[in-house]
Amino acid sequence: MQLFVNIIVLASIYALIACGYVMIYRVSRVLNLAHGELMMLGAYLLLATASLFSGHAAMALGAAVALSLVVGLLVYVFLMRKMTGEMVLAAILTTVALGILIRGLVVLLWSAQQQYPAQALGVPNPSLVIGNARISLWSAVLVLTNAAVYGGLFVFLRFGRWGIRMRAAGQNPLLAAQRGIKLHSVYALAWSLSTLTGALAGILMALDSGLTTSLPVIGLKAFPAALVGGLDSLAGALVGALIVAAAEVLLIYYVDPLLSDVVPFLVLIAMLIVRPWGLFGTREELDRV
Amino acid sequence: MSEPLLQVDKIEVVYKRVITAVQGVTLTVAKRRIVALLGTNGAGKTTMLRAISGFLGIDDARVTEGTISFEGSRIENLPPHDITGRGVALVPEREKVFPNLTVAENLSVSVARAATGAERRHDEDRIYYFFPRLAELRQRVGGLLSGGERQMMAIAAALMCRPTLLLIDELSLGLAPVVVEDLTRRLMTVRDEMGIAILLVEQSAAVALEIADYAYVMENGRVVLDGDRERLKSHQDVQEFYLGQAGGERRSYRDVKQYRRSRRWYG
Amino acid sequence: MFRPMPRASGYFHTGYAQDLALLQTRAERISLVIFTVVLVALPFIVSPFLLDLACQVFLASIGALSLMLLTGYAGQISLGHAGLIAAGAFTTGILAREIHAPFWLTLPASALTGIVLGLIFGLPSLRLRGLYLAVSTLALHFIVIYLGGEYETKRGFSTGIIIDPPTVGGFRLSDGRAWYFVLLGFAVASLLICINLLRSRSGRAWRALNARETVAEALGISVVGYKLLAFVISSSMTSVAGCLFAYYRGFVSIEAFDLFLSIQYVAMIIIGGMGSLLGALLGAAFVTVFPYVIESLIKQLPNVQKLAGDIFAVNYASFGVVMILFLVLEPLGLVGIWHRLQNYFLLWPFKQRPLASARK
Repeated sequence: MQLFVNIIVLASIYALIACGYVMIYRVSRVLNLAHGELMMLGAYLLLATASLFSGHAAMALGAAVALSLVVGLLVYVFLMRKMTGEMVLAAILTTVALGILIRGLVVLLWSAQQQYPAQALGVPNPSLVIGNARISLWSAVLVLTNAAVYGGLFVFLRFGRWGIRMRAAGQNPLLAAQRGIKLHSVYALAWSLSTLTGALAGILMALDSGLTTSLPVIGLKAFPAALVGGLDSLAGALVGALIVAAAEVLLIYYVDPLLSDVVPFLVLIAMLIVRPWGLFGTREELDRV
Repeated sequence: MSEPLLQVDKIEVVYKRVITAVQGVTLTVAKRRIVALLGTNGAGKTTMLRAISGFLGIDDARVTEGTISFEGSRIENLPPHDITGRGVALVPEREKVFPNLTVAENLSVSVARAATGAERRHDEDRIYYFFPRLAELRQRVGGLLSGGERQMMAIAAALMCRPTLLLIDELSLGLAPVVVEDLTRRLMTVRDEMGIAILLVEQSAAVALEIADYAYVMENGRVVLDGDRERLKSHQDVQEFYLGQAGGERRSYRDVKQYRRSRRWYG
Repeated sequence: MFRPMPRASGYFHTGYAQDLALLQTRAERISLVIFTVVLVALPFIVSPFLLDLACQVFLASIGALSLMLLTGYAGQISLGHAGLIAAGAFTTGILAREIHAPFWLTLPASALTGIVLGLIFGLPSLRLRGLYLAVSTLALHFIVIYLGGEYETKRGFSTGIIIDPPTVGGFRLSDGRAWYFVLLGFAVASLLICINLLRSRSGRAWRALNARETVAEALGISVVGYKLLAFVISSSMTSVAGCLFAYYRGFVSIEAFDLFLSIQYVAMIIIGGMGSLLGALLGAAFVTVFPYVIESLIKQLPNVQKLAGDIFAVNYASFGVVMILFLVLEPLGLVGIWHRLQNYFLLWPFKQRPLASARK
């Protein structure tokens, strides 16, 4: 039972991070390898707002989340916007460079020590009991948040005016422009949403188990989840996250704890060999890049 | 006569700074008129449409000389969404619908200028009135439409942008004559009831001259002939080279090794 | 591709030998002689610190050249370069430690590891392209690193493997100057290998499949064969670099081969300029010297204490900034700047813009 709970928690983490990869990729064909670092930045922003709004945990959380949205927007407007239309590899490397920059900045601004935002905010993290398994409060919140985010995104993309426009821009940017859609607005929206969901993941993880500068590693591990499901499919990200999380938890438990960092990539390689476009991705994706 | 809707004045379009695709072309589209742009492959017709709608940048091309004016203001080399926002909508030749969106979603994607929710719904109803077939196919995914349905869908989606000028690239390409006839009839209804002007690029002169009020013939990047429908239909060169009527007797291929008569457009 | 203007006229080739010669103008020959003299004299003039820096640049060049071959010419994106260096270093370390293998055994063994890994890394390229290929090399990199880490923990070398300096025919290679010449020799050898490969059939085949794979296949170029060849050659060169790295440092530990190292190599070829061997060299020099430049710059600033403690972070941040600047502003890299400079002086007082931008 505990294993099951662990799998659900890990899958929620991976899924919440993976939807960020999918959002940006689906809309602009760019793989945002700085997602892990942006996620970490969100958590560090919580530290900053915690000291700003000390005593008002809810306000601090809200402010951190809002700031992350703005960060995503700024990253697009000032950096990624210039790379639209360039080679895909150049855009990806730009995100890699951005990630490296953020890592350096975070250490410079906040030092490399482990931080405890939960303590800074003054919120507890008790262990809840479900059946004969334990789950910490913030992990449970994360699972619920993940469900809410996915539900919201599904509805938005399916029925929202801008959601449909995002899907359209992802399918055929030229046609979308011919229909009057401002592509830059769509891309900026995608980046903002992606950074928002990533920051939520980072914040909740930091509240649960502390914050270190190696948080981006988890971001990178969530990437195979997105790819296994299909880089342009939100539903796929959910399924992929479950698969990768299940594989990781089970293999750590039954085989070797050291495997934890490499299991997602083993699953990734297996998927690339068998079905590169993922479980729910569109096949043409391969030829586009 | 009031000032024309679209005035293209001696423009020159250059690709990659070295290839001149269009030279010294002047054309006018008046309000509520259907104007056709005829010519064979490579004449520069699609380039003209791209220049007007603002989509030249993708192929590294620019309008290097001359002006394009729409409703009095200059629009050459403006960004595409700016031009669409002023009321020019383009129906492209290829990839005209979003394959993974339904017909209804395809229609809702178009950005309509200054339209409230109620106005949009009214627009949609009007579209379904012009194209009843689309109403039946509301939930059909775009990629599964037939050629004719796709063209209807594309025109409908362009109309949802509330344009004053509709640009259509290759209306009849790949469509059965029956379908084309149906489409042209509907286009004229749309023009009459919505009051829009249409600039139509067509390879098939016969189709174009059925509905156009005025036409230009382009060749190698220049306009070589223009006139209203009657003038073009009766022009010998158009008849021989575009309408396939060799002026009388049938000739066997043995006699026609190359064009016996060179094209004398200025006559 | 953006080629510089021809710099000399009046050279007529009357035989194939002249055509194939590497240096074709008198100016080129003279500059090579001067360059060689400088390189040879360098160890005797500069401080040990700069000597070490030069050695690091040579070491990095080998890796950069091999990556340029793979990504810049054959167009197969690889983000797993650090994994290959690690493989070479670990082969050396394991053999040196377990069976006390000498240098003349570990070097070819590393190359062999490189060949095998090259085949493995190259297999995904037969099916995938671009982004998906990059991702597969990334995954393979992590797997290699994991295996290295496993070895370290299982064999108790959690702090790394110490390697004795290599002995070549009784001569113990531990002197800085000796290493300089050895590494210079290896770098020059790599450069010559790359130049000759690119001038030959393989080079043409790689350029063809980089441009349009289906057309290359239609022309009879075995896409599968040449893709694998590119990976194999590149990987074995990189593993040899790893082997040398292991001996030079005298110490091998898995933490040194992280993703950042892979990114640094990719940065070398981007900053240097894709599709140019000179670019690989310039990029290798730039990226290797960069941290030291930043460090000395930091020392000039008044607020030294705080920043000096976080020198690693400052490095990271400035590296990110520089990489972004090059990607956004100068996609042709240092080579692009160099060519522009040459053209400016060549065409002065005329100004000329290139007719079409190179990459688009």
